[in-house]
Amino acid sequence: MLLLVPARTYRAADFLAAAGRMGLELVVASDGALPLGGRPVVHVSPEDIEDSADRIIARAGKVEAVVAADTPMLTLAAEVAARMGLPHHPVAAVAAAGDKAVQRRLWAAARIAQPAFRLVPAAASPNAVPQAAADVGCPCVVKAVSLSASQGVLRADDPAAAAAAARRIRLVLAAAGRTGPEPLVVEEYVPGPELSIDGLLTAGALTVTAVFDKPWTPEGPTFEETLLITPSRRPAPVLAEAIDTAERAARALGLTHGPIHAELRIDERSGRPGPVMLELAARSIGGLCSRALRFGGASLEELVLAHALNRPVTPCDHDGQPSGVLMLPVPRSGVLLAVEGRAEAAATPGITGLTITIPVGQQVRPLPEGDCYLGFIFARGDTHDRVEEALRAAEARLRVVIR
Amino acid sequence: MTDLTGPVAAALETSIRPSLIARGAAVRVLGVDDGVATLEVTGSPGAVLPVASRIEAQVRAAVPGITAVRIVTPGSPLAAEPPGSQPPDAPGSLAEQARRILDAEVNPAISAHRGHVVVTGANDGWVGIRLEGGCQGCSLAEVTIRQGIEPLLRARLPGLVGVADVTDHEAGTQPFFSPEKR
Repeated sequence: MLLLVPARTYRAADFLAAAGRMGLELVVASDGALPLGGRPVVHVSPEDIEDSADRIIARAGKVEAVVAADTPMLTLAAEVAARMGLPHHPVAAVAAAGDKAVQRRLWAAARIAQPAFRLVPAAASPNAVPQAAADVGCPCVVKAVSLSASQGVLRADDPAAAAAAARRIRLVLAAAGRTGPEPLVVEEYVPGPELSIDGLLTAGALTVTAVFDKPWTPEGPTFEETLLITPSRRPAPVLAEAIDTAERAARALGLTHGPIHAELRIDERSGRPGPVMLELAARSIGGLCSRALRFGGASLEELVLAHALNRPVTPCDHDGQPSGVLMLPVPRSGVLLAVEGRAEAAATPGITGLTITIPVGQQVRPLPEGDCYLGFIFARGDTHDRVEEALRAAEARLRVVIR
Repeated sequence: MTDLTGPVAAALETSIRPSLIARGAAVRVLGVDDGVATLEVTGSPGAVLPVASRIEAQVRAAVPGITAVRIVTPGSPLAAEPPGSQPPDAPGSLAEQARRILDAEVNPAISAHRGHVVVTGANDGWVGIRLEGGCQGCSLAEVTIRQGIEPLLRARLPGLVGVADVTDHEAGTQPFFSPEKR
């Protein structure tokens, strides 16, 4: 098994633990150069696909599957898998999924339900963004096309606010090192409940691993991931239509074999609830959220690795209990001095885990400039309401000190 | 005196057991004596030891009468700090051999990342290690352990069963690589 692990990821430990539990022999490639001797890790650069793929081919030996542990390694994993003749999403499809402008265009061509949108080139006139906002209608959402985790995404309630949002997002892109002339997406704001669908594509057919409701669906101006609870409580017909939409959206991008993570809203404005695609990534759910899932004792990472190895995957949640995860957003800019009350929060009935992922002393920034969450709280319970109550109560016991 | 076994078991059930199962381990309460709860954990030590202090904090917060928590493993009764029952400086011991190898071949290298690794002890073929400095909380710490440290120790120490990381990674203040949400 070839596992490509970016240096800055939450997912390394869970994928390595999964591989260990499965008894897999791993070859790891990473852009995080490890200092150990004996060359235990193939050093790669996701910005240099050709050379990195050459290096992996030369050093990895024969592998049976290729998996990217997180977003920065997706294209390189696809390239290596293609060269080795292993089942995987194609390179072009992964690239399409990583560009919100290409997603919108391909979904429009495939008649996938999505918000009305306009693409505004980097070189467009200053009036282009407010004009696009007026075209799609306000409120609207202005997005960078190449960022993820809600970074560089802002709601605007009128065309002037859209222009201001675009200027702010350009600064976010520059700070993130995205200096190329990438367009912005200006799209209709779709109110309504949001959900995420995780699954594994096999020859384009989707096997769903988890559907999360987002009971605290953000309304802007920023769009923090907050509370996720699974299984979904959406009515079965709505859920079936959402899954079908996600599957067709994935196929429209050209994705064929591997994990996907789709985010949708249920548009209820017409009186008939219908799913609308927001975004789709060619990977499994991000952060530590997969720890909210169990599949008869196996983790989501084990399912992803097994699927890559063409082993049968049965993603049923055997204990069937509602489970949730709360991502803790950064409330303001500054230096994180402490997260107090952790023991009390962790002792809240129903809470099964609490992890703070930002070191004390680190500079933090909220969305849309920031790209990190303070941490994750996990809960299980007899009912969805109890899971939500537990997470809400645990969060209330935390005191985040930022100066 | 009130028997606190039931409340401790309830705290385990609601707050601890599910997360340990997810990490590949299980836990049950063996008993409570004079405010000290004894918990038996099974499965991977690496799944339990890094969160041992948190388990104690959670049990003490949930059951006010509990003053301390001891974590034991089957076959090693009351080994409160597995795998540290064998001190790291016992001559010729597994822990001592591991320490020598890490000091000679790993620490000089990972110091380039401001990191350091210490052996906390050994038990039943498991060697406990704690990562410090740049390795504590590093998003690639597990890669360093599973692809670097553990294979190195396996190659040199035939009696090694595995390496358990007992680091409190959340307390790391200067990780060489920080994670981010993707």
